[in-house]
Amino acid sequence: MPGVILKALSKRYGEVGAVDNLSLEIKPGELLALLGPSGCGKTTTLRLVAGFLAPDAGEIWVGDRCLSSRASVVPPERRRMAMIFQSYALWPHMTVAQNVAYGLRFKPALSRSDRDARVREMLRVVQLGGYEHRYPGELSGGQQQRVAVARALVVEPEILLLDEPLSNLDANLREEMRFEIRRLHEAFGNTTLYVTHDQGEAMVISDRIAVLKAGRVAQAGTADDLYHRPRTRFVAEFIGRTNVVEGVAESRETLAHGAIRLRVAPAELVPGARVAVSIRPHQVSLDTAAAGGINALRGTVRRAAFLGDTVDYEIAIAGSDLLLRAAAAPIPRFEVGAAVGVRIDPAACVPLAGDN
Amino acid sequence: MDRSIAVWAGAALALIVLMALPLGWLGWLSVSGEHGATLAHYRAAFADRALQKALWNTVVLAFWTGLVSVAIGAPLAWLTARTDVPGRGLIRGLVLASFVTPPFLGAFAWVMLAGPNAGILNTFWRSMTGAREPLLNIFTMPGLIFVVSIYTFPYVYIMVANTLALIASDLEEAAAILGAGRLAVARTVTIPMVLPALVSGFILAVLQALALFGSPAILALPAGFHTVTTQIWSLFQFPPKVEQAAAFSIPLLLATALLLQIQKRLLGRRGYAAVGGKGGQRRTIPLGPWRWPALVACLVVMSWAIFLPYGVLAKGAFVRAWAQPLTRDNLTLGNFAFTFFEYGATRAAIVNTLELAVLTACIGAAMVALLSYVANRRLVIGHQLVAFLALAPVVVPGVVLAVGLFIAYTRPPFVLYGTLWILFLAYLTKEMPVGYAQADATFRAIPGDLEDAGRVLGAGRLRILKEITAPLAKSGIIAAWCFIFIGVIRELSASILLFTPNTRVMSVVIFDLKEEGQFGAISVLGLVMLALTFATVALVQAALGRDVLGARR
Repeated sequence: MPGVILKALSKRYGEVGAVDNLSLEIKPGELLALLGPSGCGKTTTLRLVAGFLAPDAGEIWVGDRCLSSRASVVPPERRRMAMIFQSYALWPHMTVAQNVAYGLRFKPALSRSDRDARVREMLRVVQLGGYEHRYPGELSGGQQQRVAVARALVVEPEILLLDEPLSNLDANLREEMRFEIRRLHEAFGNTTLYVTHDQGEAMVISDRIAVLKAGRVAQAGTADDLYHRPRTRFVAEFIGRTNVVEGVAESRETLAHGAIRLRVAPAELVPGARVAVSIRPHQVSLDTAAAGGINALRGTVRRAAFLGDTVDYEIAIAGSDLLLRAAAAPIPRFEVGAAVGVRIDPAACVPLAGDN
Repeated sequence: MDRSIAVWAGAALALIVLMALPLGWLGWLSVSGEHGATLAHYRAAFADRALQKALWNTVVLAFWTGLVSVAIGAPLAWLTARTDVPGRGLIRGLVLASFVTPPFLGAFAWVMLAGPNAGILNTFWRSMTGAREPLLNIFTMPGLIFVVSIYTFPYVYIMVANTLALIASDLEEAAAILGAGRLAVARTVTIPMVLPALVSGFILAVLQALALFGSPAILALPAGFHTVTTQIWSLFQFPPKVEQAAAFSIPLLLATALLLQIQKRLLGRRGYAAVGGKGGQRRTIPLGPWRWPALVACLVVMSWAIFLPYGVLAKGAFVRAWAQPLTRDNLTLGNFAFTFFEYGATRAAIVNTLELAVLTACIGAAMVALLSYVANRRLVIGHQLVAFLALAPVVVPGVVLAVGLFIAYTRPPFVLYGTLWILFLAYLTKEMPVGYAQADATFRAIPGDLEDAGRVLGAGRLRILKEITAPLAKSGIIAAWCFIFIGVIRELSASILLFTPNTRVMSVVIFDLKEEGQFGAISVLGLVMLALTFATVALVQAALGRDVLGARR
């Protein structure tokens, strides 16, 4: 099972660079999610990997084969990949079995009975046994999705590509299919590139996530890495919710925002420079009385929304223009207008680099 | 991939030759004199009082046809698309019948119905009232406008009905909830949204009237006046004044191009009419006590276009004397025997027509399928040009195209005049836009994903074309074939200039039979033509699973 390496890949549409000097490695057997807002180049990247597009610069390697470069592009049909489309792209004039069997036509070593057996087995795996002779138009959205998955997996591709495969499903089914895709990945272990704009989906499904912005990789890492150690404001705000506090570094470990001083750990700031830190809402802890000590602030509750397992507060910090979001346990409850003490662990203040 | 580029280049080259040769010669001949370029032909053409009169007649005919078409087509579209008038399917079917009826057949039928002397309606009127004067005289400008309009209003109908079908009722309800009454809703929401379609339907109707040859030739010439198309035709009669005809063709070409450009602009901004999405339902408006009067009104209009003309053609085919009452003595099958066995020209003409129709439809369908596939999938640089060229013949009226083809193919390198090939080229060029539009819609409806999905799994482009694209596109391409076929069997305006004694087609023979007063044979041939047309229409509807007028799946 080879991995995929993208080397300094670029693709321009007219003046607009859809993919801009993008480098990325997908390790053998890994499921990597390409995550980003619309227009960030993630689908273009996927289509470059699939061979539907030729890069303007850069190379795509699978194992020791160079599949795409400026000079030559191996056509999609010779890449030993499979792809699941956003629209599923099931052929309406073929039955479920014919759809799933299509890719096996190009494996001459397989006998007819082997082929049929593999199709049946795969349909069983995706829980569609007995649907062989239905047409796609006779299936529900979730069933169509499973056919698309079966059609891609039955050929035992070296690389599996998924282009927002869940975006056409309703919310419940989407949740269910996330785990289903993860389960199938663990069963088959294909090297997989998964394009999505939904961070929750990316976090559930993938081993690693590459966050894309304007055709480049803003940051790649595990969901944990990206959530707890975002390197840029874009990543911090795209993965989960966050508070960003901007200010000037007073020392290597202190950020000044007006009269407020925030201790940051680890102490790596450049004194005198403009800096920003990300503070996740659940790491803003609230108390009835103002506490003393490091990063202890006072504030007033401006808004409170009860969400069930947490309460979402908006706190106006005294002596500044800061508004912090805090996610706190439902007990104790603070009413709107109440004065609260606010504490933030220095380790929860993650310094962000500039976006560019 | 390389092979497909060669095929594309071939098709595009053929397209360019097809278009450039006749139009190039047309333009050149209109300004060429013995001593280089000259405007003498234009001066001769436009200084001629008779030609000025023809030009003015065409303007009058086209403008009034546009207005009458709107007056008939728009209410009919609203009634069938938005109200609970009974028999909506029937009305729609009759509009479709009017759409595919060759206009010159309608004109013949109306000669038999409302000719001042023997016309059936007039004899009936005289016998009822004892009057000596005829009730109707179809050989007049209003008569001509009437006959042209009843076969042209479907253009307005299609545009308006399809647009109304796209406007979701909630857009109107949103206005109603804010306080607008029914009239205010119509005035502020519905009509403004339909207006671009209405105006563009008007323009299409005007274009039809501009380009029409058959009806003016049948109705205006006996009445003693010309239109531009009949004038161009008469410039071709002996001794032919080809240069003047060319000069006279150019304004018609420019007017058509200009009007189409305006129409395209109007529709280009139409985008908002399509907004509405899935949630948008269209509720029907109850007419209450007006339901049945509305139906009667629709049927009266359709009796002008369908029932009366078809009836008189059927009668004409089966009787000895069409103006006489239907009695046992009068009934005969002799017209069929005469048409198919005795009159020498007809059998050859039917064979010629069918040969040409099948050949043009096959080659045309293959070409438009190829060209629109290339354009849709953007297989090559310059794919926009392919679409432009394939749709370009829309601006060329049949008579003008024929003048160009006559000039181009009576001289080297391609001397085709006198063969069926020149007719084939005329039909192929003329029907290209209709076929292309159909093929284009077909490939647009097949998402590229369906092809990509196959390629990822290991199928090459040609294999995908065969196993996935072709089966999905099949019915759409069959429809394109049928549209071209229908267009060819009814074609008159180009054929009338390009035929020679050995290469006559059905429409031309019908036209000749008129000179001999053989109305029985005309009726028989007319019925044959209608039968062929409706059989083909049925084939399209079966292939597409919807009616030819579009929308409403």
